[in-house]
Amino acid sequence: MKSAEGMFDESIVYVTRQGAQIRTGEGRIIVFDVTLDEDDDSDPELASYPIEKVDTINVFGGVNFTTPFIKTANESGIVLNYFSTNGKYRGSYRPTKNTIAEIRRAQYGLSRQEELEIAKSMISGKIRNARTLLSRKGVHGTDVLRDLGVRATKAMTKDALRGTEGEAAERYFSRLDETLIDGWTFEKRTTRPPEDHINSLLSLTYVFVKNEVLGALYQYNLDPFLGVLHADRHGRPSLALDLQEEFRPIFCDAFVTRLINRGVITHDDFNKDNRLADDAFKTYLGKFDEYMQEEFTHPYFEYNVSRRKAIRQQAILLRKAITGELDGYHPLTFDR
Amino acid sequence: MSSPTTVGQRDELVHVSALNEYVYCPRRFYYQRYHDEIGTPYELIDGRSKHQNQSNRGGWVTERYFRSDELKLHGKIDLIESDSEVLTPVERKRSESGQYYPSDEVQLTGYCMLLEDALDEPVNVGYIYLYSTDTRHAIRIKERHRETVRKIVSRITEMTVNSLPPFTDNPKKCEACSARQYCMPYETALLEPEKAQGTGWEDRV
Ligand code: SF4
Repeated sequence: MKSAEGMFDESIVYVTRQGAQIRTGEGRIIVFDVTLDEDDDSDPELASYPIEKVDTINVFGGVNFTTPFIKTANESGIVLNYFSTNGKYRGSYRPTKNTIAEIRRAQYGLSRQEELEIAKSMISGKIRNARTLLSRKGVHGTDVLRDLGVRATKAMTKDALRGTEGEAAERYFSRLDETLIDGWTFEKRTTRPPEDHINSLLSLTYVFVKNEVLGALYQYNLDPFLGVLHADRHGRPSLALDLQEEFRPIFCDAFVTRLINRGVITHDDFNKDNRLADDAFKTYLGKFDEYMQEEFTHPYFEYNVSRRKAIRQQAILLRKAITGELDGYHPLTFDR
Repeated sequence: MSSPTTVGQRDELVHVSALNEYVYCPRRFYYQRYHDEIGTPYELIDGRSKHQNQSNRGGWVTERYFRSDELKLHGKIDLIESDSEVLTPVERKRSESGQYYPSDEVQLTGYCMLLEDALDEPVNVGYIYLYSTDTRHAIRIKERHRETVRKIVSRITEMTVNSLPPFTDNPKKCEACSARQYCMPYETALLEPEKAQGTGWEDRV
């Protein structure tokens, strides 16, 4: 069985060049350098992409869109996300057409029990993937995670499920240290602000994967702000956080340990406040995009998919679970 | 001619191109209609090539919009041949394979019915023109053709968001289907096999 080729591969574009302008021309999206002097004869066109292939553009810092381009983005359903130069999310421009009432109605109409069922699949999937990541890195003796995974599938309430999830996360993170090369230690998970380099990398990666998930949810017309497990809080994309759970160990943490263990990112790449320095951040972005485009054999469907596409597939499967087209939500899990 | 269509009525009219879509796969039609989910509809590709070949010689009428509240059908016939007072709709197809399909006959029948409703006289022949072979095929519109159109129109008008049609029983269609990535017949057969019972996909996993 072959997956349909070619879709989603270039679907997300990252633009970090300061002073770049994004325009449209001849059916393409053009990244243009407007800072060049008149007598500079280097090519002002930095890159271009076919409009119909792109669904998300992420820009960092001083990058502009022309007004005609915004019109094109709206008509073609392209989402624009704004970030600061070092990756802090600033907001989005979203096309107006992506609001299909029937899907939203089904989402808002989910019963507590239906939400719990979906959340249980997501969390048990996450715990499964946490074990798999550890075992891939040679960390064994994770039976307690297996037991917690079973407990997650039996949770009677969302609170019980959250409790199990929290316990599993604690157990898992307490072993993550063993997957890192010398010179790196993982004490504990800290956020806001991340207290050390590894926590900073984890936080950054969660934000980026969350944006991938957010894009996927938007693309399939689910409301990212109405969650099945994460409590709804003003401005918090709860459903994106829910769907992200299963990807945290196997995509996010795996990516961060890879960056560290291969020496792509070292302690010298950070500022005093534990943020990546500008150059390192560019390296990070390039590696992240590459990682998202990297293909693996789907553990269940057995064809090759990129990580980016796998995330989108999960959004489709989530939508099918929500609209009742499938009986349950099937998370992406890796047994080995 | 009947009175102008109201907003509510227009919603209920079925576009002739929908007949073709529905015959290809009711499920894909459902996705287009309720989920706005489709790659590039092949109808659109067809349309582009048609417009590039627009001709407007004598004896031809191009791009006429028709609607009939009684048939619950509307659509644009892009070519009508007029030969000694007889008007004949022409449906042009790209068709790489050099042949036309039953769904094309259905669509053509829809045009003939619209035309006869507007003229108030029978239109019993239509043409399918194939670019790939530069051939024209006369189709005699029989009662069974009209019956098929009426049946499909009523299925389409009765369709609701709560009635997702099953996968097609011909997985070959899925291979060429623009909604494939979204519909996921193969994946569904793996994840929830009972959902793919009797579709032809159950044997493929
Ligand atoms: S993939 Fe197959 S079943 Fe699904 S919409 Fe397309 S043709 Fe129909």
